[in-house]
Amino acid sequence: MNLSLSEIRHDQAGFEALVCLLAQTKGGFFDDIDINMSATAWFDADMCAAFGAILYRLGENLNTVKLKSIPPNVEGILSKNGFLSHYGREKIPDRWGTTIPYKRFDVKDDRYFAGYIETEFIHRREMPDMSSGLLKKFRESIFEIFSNAVLHSRTTQGIFSCGQFFPKRNRLDFSVADLGVGIRQNIQDNIGLILTSEEAIAWATQERNTTKKGPIPGGLGLKLLREFIDLNGGYIQIVSDSGYWRRAKGQTSTALLSHPFPGTVVSIEINTADTQSYVLSSELSEADIF
Amino acid sequence: MSNNLEVSIFEIVGSPLCVASGDGQKVYDRLAAALKEGRRVIVSFYNVTTLTSAFLNAAIGQLYGTFSEEQIRTLLKVQDMQADDLALLKRVVDTAKLYFKDPQTFKRVLRETIEGEDSDT
Repeated sequence: MNLSLSEIRHDQAGFEALVCLLAQTKGGFFDDIDINMSATAWFDADMCAAFGAILYRLGENLNTVKLKSIPPNVEGILSKNGFLSHYGREKIPDRWGTTIPYKRFDVKDDRYFAGYIETEFIHRREMPDMSSGLLKKFRESIFEIFSNAVLHSRTTQGIFSCGQFFPKRNRLDFSVADLGVGIRQNIQDNIGLILTSEEAIAWATQERNTTKKGPIPGGLGLKLLREFIDLNGGYIQIVSDSGYWRRAKGQTSTALLSHPFPGTVVSIEINTADTQSYVLSSELSEADIF
Repeated sequence: MSNNLEVSIFEIVGSPLCVASGDGQKVYDRLAAALKEGRRVIVSFYNVTTLTSAFLNAAIGQLYGTFSEEQIRTLLKVQDMQADDLALLKRVVDTAKLYFKDPQTFKRVLRETIEGEDSDT
């Protein structure tokens, strides 16, 4: 089977191209799938999380996937962040230190993920000079995204992450993808609410909405992320099933993708030049908590 | 035997990164065991640099499913928390109270949210 891939940017069109690619495989088993990337003139590195999840799904269906005719600039990006190491290429050094490597994790890898973020991002001297308040918020946000995938996806095939820093634009992109049941199905299974894919994502980002049952409460992770991104001036995109949800500058937009993503992707872009202190104006006393 | 127990989150988790629900469960197990005995517990977050709602839900939010608000307020104290972490814990606690106290209200809020989002997007 010969497929081709267009350019992949960190936006709705990029996700659309990836789900179209998966749809063209028609759920095949034991196929040889050659993906011609000669038309992939650009590939935003953090989108490797979603792309890697799709390729992993194809591999789980016992297909042999080969990436062919990758333009040199894209091959360079995907080699530096370690993505192409999964597909028979050598990893090359990241001379400018702007990549957060592509990795796959299992749901029990919370601590390994935490170590990855600390090593590959927080303690790297090449990374942007962010205020301590922003760095703390950013770090917490990434962990909230990962925890969300661990707690809700029910994936057995893993969680994929990747990031990229753009020093001249003062922007940092980071994505986490899972191959789980997706938000819509999770809500339906646990709450009994039947929603469209876009409605389901919107529901999950509202405070106090949670699919959690049993002894441990939930319902804050995506809301905290949404609040942080609103303050920071970046944006957040969530893709789950066929739903696409984006929030930027306090405004939410949604769309329906032409085909489903086989899980959920949470993708953020943060403004690294943000100088807000993130210190709360009203002091809360330790005696007021319970 | 002391009536007061001091619990170091860093010691239980073994790391300044308190992000995993499984680590929160370990904290919960200790706190629940002490509260069942009616002991006062001081929970120290000294040297903890990163907290998530997933961790705090498991460690502390979960207590509201087993113990009354009065018991928790009387027996549990936290210390050495940064202001923003304290604010996160407060939200986790408020959400947990709602989660356990009134499932019907929780369901109503869910439905209202959906209707609100329909007109928002």
